[in-house]
Amino acid sequence: MAYSTKVIEHYENPRNVGTLDKSDDSVGTGLVGAPACGDVMRLQIKVNEQGVIEDAKFKTFGCGSAIASSSLATEWIKGKTVDEAEAIKNSQIVEELNLPPVKIHCSVLAEDAIKSAIADYRKKQVRRAGSTKHAK
Amino acid sequence: MSVDPFATLGIGPVFDVDMAAAEKVHRELSRALHPDRYIGASPSERRAALTKAVEVNEAWRIVRDPLRRADALLGLADLGDASAIEEGALKADPEFLMDMLEQREALSEAKAARDLEAVRRLAVGIDARARGVEAALSKGFESGSAVSRADLPGLARKVGELKFYRRFLDEVSAIEDELAA
Repeated sequence: MAYSTKVIEHYENPRNVGTLDKSDDSVGTGLVGAPACGDVMRLQIKVNEQGVIEDAKFKTFGCGSAIASSSLATEWIKGKTVDEAEAIKNSQIVEELNLPPVKIHCSVLAEDAIKSAIADYRKKQVRRAGSTKHAK
Repeated sequence: MSVDPFATLGIGPVFDVDMAAAEKVHRELSRALHPDRYIGASPSERRAALTKAVEVNEAWRIVRDPLRRADALLGLADLGDASAIEEGALKADPEFLMDMLEQREALSEAKAARDLEAVRRLAVGIDARARGVEAALSKGFESGSAVSRADLPGLARKVGELKFYRRFLDEVSAIEDELAA
């Protein structure tokens, strides 16, 4: 199958590959997998006091489209607020990368990874708020 | 899947397939449907035989592969209850995914270090787990496709795990080829 130039570009030169400290309270970690193809994706966000995503990292073991989708996702969410990032739809990724129908699940995986990272971050904030209350 | 691959081969829908018997059926059907036997037949008969032959080959490919066989059994057991299967397949638990990610990371490190020994060691570990899942599927599908609804999500999850292992082992083969070259 022929990949689009944008997919190849992200695949050969992926943005934001790496790891953030998952024990840090300002870091949210999303971990998703696609049983259909066996791909695994980890996406992490670091959120500042203003609720803005100041850093994002990913690690994806999968096909070119899955790598490109997650690379693009980290690029897009950086500088966005958590709420803005949550609104990103997989269809936008499909459009930007020109993904063929058989690769749409890769973009779904990236959207799920963003949502899962945000959910993890929010859970930590609730826990932190809870523990400060107990401390008083 | 529109056709039941087990029925196509005239065998029962179970995970523990008698491979020798199934292969024999496949061979006999293929011989009976061979185009040479239809030389004097009408075009529509020839077409029908060819369609059937393709179906028989595909059924055999599914039945001989543990992963595709398990998938086919899930499909047969499903009967309008895809939600139970999806629930099991999609909700791979975080611990499993974390572990898979770590295994894949270790594999890519071994690849980068061109450490064929380490690659094979990782493969042996995953292969053992894949066999464990196959044993569980064999037990889970003991009663063929007549599994209870309650067991479906768990079985779907096992099949999902097997897909991750399969993907891992495919990657190992690719690395072995690359490092041997």
